[in-house]
Amino acid sequence: MPRLRDVALEHLRVTGLGLRPAIIGALVTALVALGVAVLQGVGVGTSVYLHAEPPMLPGLMGALLPFIIWGRDTRTDLDFLWVLPVNRGRHALVRVFTGWMWLMAGVGLFALWVLTLVLMSGSSVLPVETLHVLTGGVSALGPLDPAALQSVRWAPGPQIWAVPFVAATATYLLGSALTLGTRHPFRWIAAGMLSVGLIAVVGDAAGTLPAAGWVSRVPLQLLRSLVSGPRGLDALLTARTASLDSTAILTSGARVNVWSAAPRMADWRTAALLWNSAGLLALSAAIHGHRERRGG
Amino acid sequence: MIGTDPPDDHAIATHALCKRYGREPALDRVDLRVPEGEVYVLLGVNGAGKSTLFRMLMNLERPDSGRAEVFGRDTRRDGPMVRAQVGYVPERQDAPHRSMTCGRLLQHVATFYPAWDDAYAAHLVRSLEIPTGKRIGELSKGETRRLQLVLALAHRPALLLLDEPTDGLDPVIRRRALALLAEHLADAPTTVLISTHHIHEIESLAGYVGILREGRLVAQAPRDELQRTVRSYQMEVPDGWEIPAELQVSRRSRSSAGRLARCTLVGEEREVIRRLGVTGARVRQVSALTLEEAALAYLPGDPS
Repeated sequence: MPRLRDVALEHLRVTGLGLRPAIIGALVTALVALGVAVLQGVGVGTSVYLHAEPPMLPGLMGALLPFIIWGRDTRTDLDFLWVLPVNRGRHALVRVFTGWMWLMAGVGLFALWVLTLVLMSGSSVLPVETLHVLTGGVSALGPLDPAALQSVRWAPGPQIWAVPFVAATATYLLGSALTLGTRHPFRWIAAGMLSVGLIAVVGDAAGTLPAAGWVSRVPLQLLRSLVSGPRGLDALLTARTASLDSTAILTSGARVNVWSAAPRMADWRTAALLWNSAGLLALSAAIHGHRERRGG
Repeated sequence: MIGTDPPDDHAIATHALCKRYGREPALDRVDLRVPEGEVYVLLGVNGAGKSTLFRMLMNLERPDSGRAEVFGRDTRRDGPMVRAQVGYVPERQDAPHRSMTCGRLLQHVATFYPAWDDAYAAHLVRSLEIPTGKRIGELSKGETRRLQLVLALAHRPALLLLDEPTDGLDPVIRRRALALLAEHLADAPTTVLISTHHIHEIESLAGYVGILREGRLVAQAPRDELQRTVRSYQMEVPDGWEIPAELQVSRRSRSSAGRLARCTLVGEEREVIRRLGVTGARVRQVSALTLEEAALAYLPGDPS
């Protein structure tokens, strides 16, 4: 019987081998993006924040990686894996774990890239920002009176640097559960996207009909909570810096970033706990489906 | 079922193993007994349940009922320990990690088997002409099969499960692969369960034969016993003669004059002749059959 440590190291090597094109691509992209940033004038005096860079990128990386690791596996690949003399549950877990290590390396590269931009710009590594927050009852749709904006100091602290790592971990766990637990993960994704589209269309249409019942509104409200609510996906992926932030034009004609509220890191912590727990539960269920076949 | 109980030391023992796919039975109360150190040839037409049986031994399929043991270990409870002792060539000629080179895949698999023999693996690679620098996804079916053979043999397992291992190989490589298998068996005590449609190829290695028909193990016996109990009988028969119902017949023919008949019958020769004599048939000649012909007696065919 092989030692689990040897199995883990081998999977780490093999996963890295499989990811080699993606790793090279990511390095090249990071260098090109850095060059572009320099050409665009990022330097001392400009402000660069972690949440302002492609904030969803780590989460996206986490969601996509399982499809690279498991998604292309045919029945042959899985049969091959399962005939090796390792407990199947542990084997699956080891493979997921080694993939996660590569993911953390990728997210680390992303964080390093942002850190480089931050240092180049002379911004603070631990950001302290002044946000223009809309006062209650004012909509940001039309030209905005500057008096409707309130300046709020926002200092998320060092945990803002944990957001990309935690977000990528949660999406990776969920993606791994999907690829490992279902026979046709792409069909599930397509079905999920179709459902979201349908809920949005039906919910919007129902909004114009006073007689529309809760059946059409509740799913839309649930969907909004799931995406942009205080414990939603955006809270996990960006600490709500994407859903609370928008651009508005002032009555003076100036274009400014306005916030419907200042993001609370407590919301992010709760969302991170919920989404990572859900990911772990889903992964456990998916791995359970591949356990040694003891039933019957 | 014809057959004697093999000795007690079984490398493989299944107990009333059953599996259905929908309404179709794939395996029906199969009690396979593969003696340790023997080459056991499993025969059957396509769809007889051979591959399902192999997959169950590897714990890739769950039986509906019954259980299987390999070297006394339950294949479901002790899956990893069982698989550590098994070299498996599956029916499908596919290999994993399509972007990996053959050489890297060999290195990968070696990690999982502490008993992996590098020198022997290199010998197999040379003999079977494995293109080590070629990517798995670019291999032909024959090359994939050769690679699967190396992966199964190179850790010198105590048990080889070979599901149609020479399928897809050209005649030259096929002969070389069989020679390597014979060499492997001579070097180390190994039990082999092999399914094949080309029984003549492994006739010289075969010690036991099992025959699966529609999921049921209809015969299981040492090769000599199978050949001794399945024979061709030529006889002179009276008008309107019919084969006695109690005799298991697989093939029959009758001369145009209607007085001469030839049948392949199962049973001890003396007893068969006695029973035929009771019905008025006079046996003129009894011929031994090749292993393949004897095995065919149990497979579905046209007994006209």
